[in-house]
Amino acid sequence: METEINKKTPLYDEHIKLGAKIVPFAGFLMPLYYKSITFEHLNVRNNSGLFDISHMGEVIIKGKDAGAFVDYVFTADVSKIEPDEIIYSLILNEKGGIIDDVTIFKFSENEFMAVVNAANTQKDFSWLHYQQSEFQKKGYDVSIENVSEKIGLISVQGPKSRDIIYPLVDEIVKIGGCGFFDFKFKPKPVIKLKHFEFSCILFKDINVEALISRSGYTGEFGFEIFVPAEKTAILWDYLLKHGYLSNLVPVGLGARDTLRFEAALPLYGHELDETINPYDAGLEKYLSGTKNFIGKEVLKNIKSKEKRLIFFKLSGKQIPRHMQKILDENLKPIGCIASGTYSPSNKFPIGSAYISDTNVNPSSLKNFFIDIRGNFEKAEVVSPPFHKNVKKIV
Amino acid sequence: MTIKAGPFYFSESHEWISKKADNIFYMGISDFAQSELGDVVYITLPEAGKIYQKGEKIGEIESVKSVSEIYAPVSLKILSINSNLNDSSELINTDPHGSGYIAMVEPLNSSDVLDLMDKNTYESFVSSNHA
Repeated sequence: METEINKKTPLYDEHIKLGAKIVPFAGFLMPLYYKSITFEHLNVRNNSGLFDISHMGEVIIKGKDAGAFVDYVFTADVSKIEPDEIIYSLILNEKGGIIDDVTIFKFSENEFMAVVNAANTQKDFSWLHYQQSEFQKKGYDVSIENVSEKIGLISVQGPKSRDIIYPLVDEIVKIGGCGFFDFKFKPKPVIKLKHFEFSCILFKDINVEALISRSGYTGEFGFEIFVPAEKTAILWDYLLKHGYLSNLVPVGLGARDTLRFEAALPLYGHELDETINPYDAGLEKYLSGTKNFIGKEVLKNIKSKEKRLIFFKLSGKQIPRHMQKILDENLKPIGCIASGTYSPSNKFPIGSAYISDTNVNPSSLKNFFIDIRGNFEKAEVVSPPFHKNVKKIV
Repeated sequence: MTIKAGPFYFSESHEWISKKADNIFYMGISDFAQSELGDVVYITLPEAGKIYQKGEKIGEIESVKSVSEIYAPVSLKILSINSNLNDSSELINTDPHGSGYIAMVEPLNSSDVLDLMDKNTYESFVSSNHA
């Protein structure tokens, strides 16, 4: 018997109306696709796509010592960014293993928001909660709140995203409000936003205030829009109705995965998990050199990478899948697939793998084999991303 | 008992079989099956001339998200395969009951086909099992 109860995002009914194929993912009933993964994928690359990513978690971190707290629990130099900026970071355990990869929004010196992977929301919150109590014991002023269920999150991605968003919004240039986000700075006009900056806007006809960031998980220009949960469906319908001139279509998790993988963006549970350290994953640039953070001590002693992440393409048509074995030219196992998928932009299968055999030098590895259900498929090491220099079909 | 040419008969594992002429049937996967799979990118076809028992695996269909097996809906001999699928596996999505057929087959006992579901029975089978 299936006893696990899957949650619904505020947009579940919209997905059903749009005829989505629904699948359970990270404890939520999510759209896998509406029409087809490859159609939705190519439409994002060529036009634009609308994603429900409300399943993602949001944790607010507040207090006089919030800056010291975020610098300790996250690997990147979080407190130093400007209010209105976002930074990508890792959360590590004491052994240097990756608990999650997150983005952190800075509202002020005393308030931050971490956006975390849906599958990890509870784990991250428990971990941060424990660290918060340790901080409080030492007399620091910091508090955290899991606001995931109060927030709906919609993403608009693709080269035409700006044509959809700009005409629909008014700037909010006052300090203070933005739904329940407490802006302590004067928000920038949305057209001025650079990558990994955010602002506050008002969607005109529906009178919905939202936090908008220039960010995404597709490798394309795009926005992510945070709204109160009860306004999410109104905004979703409004964007779909007004986005048709830019060929805006709803996009499910299937294409979200193929898009992120072509752009070589890591996915927790595939490229990242608690047995993998930032060096293995090639994410050492997100480790601060100037401050202390959880896991830093242990990482100092890691001289050589235990595993190495590589990217590859296949000449055959079979798709490599997570955990399948990779074999050297003598068919000796040397590692394991992290992600494998079909690249709709290139029309061939692609993947990533961790090489665990330390005798193998990834930079001299050219060809190897993947054991796909007993067939040894030849693969070639390539450098990502996979979606640049692909001839676009309009 | 004679089987008319034209109507489609369906298995519980979502294959269809339909009579074309005496001892010549087409088989493929149902429209429901292709919609569950999503974009098909690769197919392993059965071997022409080979005999498969009912329920035996005759091939594999791989979509972007998953891999599914294709089973013989009745005991049959493969007469020829639809080799267009090697280069145009998307035909399974666009025309599963037509040009996206999988093989031309000859049932070992053509009356076995009548044990399968007709179109209406299959449709209610699908809606009651996959609501």
